[in-house]
Amino acid sequence: MALGLLLAVFAGVMVALQTIFNNRTDVHMGSWATTTWVLFMGFVASLACSLIFEGSRTFNLQQMQPWYWFSGLIGVGVVICLVLGIKILGPTFSVSITLTAQLGFALLFDTMGWLGLEKVAFDWKQLLGVTVIVAGIFIFKFGGKKGAKAKTVAANQ
Amino acid sequence: MFRGILFAFLGGACITLQGVANSRISHDIGTWQAATITQLTGFIMALLIYLLVRDGDLGGFRKVKPLYLAGGAFGSVIIFSEVTAIQTIGVTFTISALLIAQLLVTFLIDRFGWFGTSKSKMGAAQFIGLALMIGGVLIMKL
Repeated sequence: MALGLLLAVFAGVMVALQTIFNNRTDVHMGSWATTTWVLFMGFVASLACSLIFEGSRTFNLQQMQPWYWFSGLIGVGVVICLVLGIKILGPTFSVSITLTAQLGFALLFDTMGWLGLEKVAFDWKQLLGVTVIVAGIFIFKFGGKKGAKAKTVAANQ
Repeated sequence: MFRGILFAFLGGACITLQGVANSRISHDIGTWQAATITQLTGFIMALLIYLLVRDGDLGGFRKVKPLYLAGGAFGSVIIFSEVTAIQTIGVTFTISALLIAQLLVTFLIDRFGWFGTSKSKMGAAQFIGLALMIGGVLIMKL
């Protein structure tokens, strides 16, 4: 439990850093070149980790189901949606909606147990918690001075 | 306007779907292997789109600081951590904690103008927003 929470927080910190670095790259390369670059670096780093920690099991892929090969397309869909959303709505509104959808779908996935997830019984506390977080997100994003301007190219989250 | 909301919404749905799909794949072939394969296929697709639309310039990497170019490598530990978290504490709790940490760090970076960001001031609204977000996570765990 504590380890899971710690890992989630660590992932969030890394996503924040990566988003800013990607924006710096975006300025010189544009979003598709940046996405291509970022995913290539991620692939190389993951392959290295896999070889270090898993050794020859890296290439042991009998359990692969055909759709696993296409899962990378989801990340490409993310980039398209975020770029267009921000272009049409501006970052503040667009990012607030994206974060809300992320949380809403998280609750949905837990409740339905889709994709072989362990089903978590629906709980009003979960829904209330998510609602309060969403309220916090909108106040954070829209309140007073323009706060964090989280931007596009979140290819890996 | 409606189209914008739809894109932003679908983008969020896909981010969560990505985490869940990675967990599913990790379960069958291992987490590092899953991170390797999803990013390889994503890379190939992104490269094809880039070659097709040709906006921007892949050669522009020469003008980018090496530190920023290396950011892509974080993808490996991000996927590993997120998948392991989802497998231990569930999707909702994982995404909630991840998002709060992400917003807080982004905000701190902006606040202090690190990595060449333009400094922005921290208003009361941002403190209230963060407090609410953390409150929301606590409610879930009551």
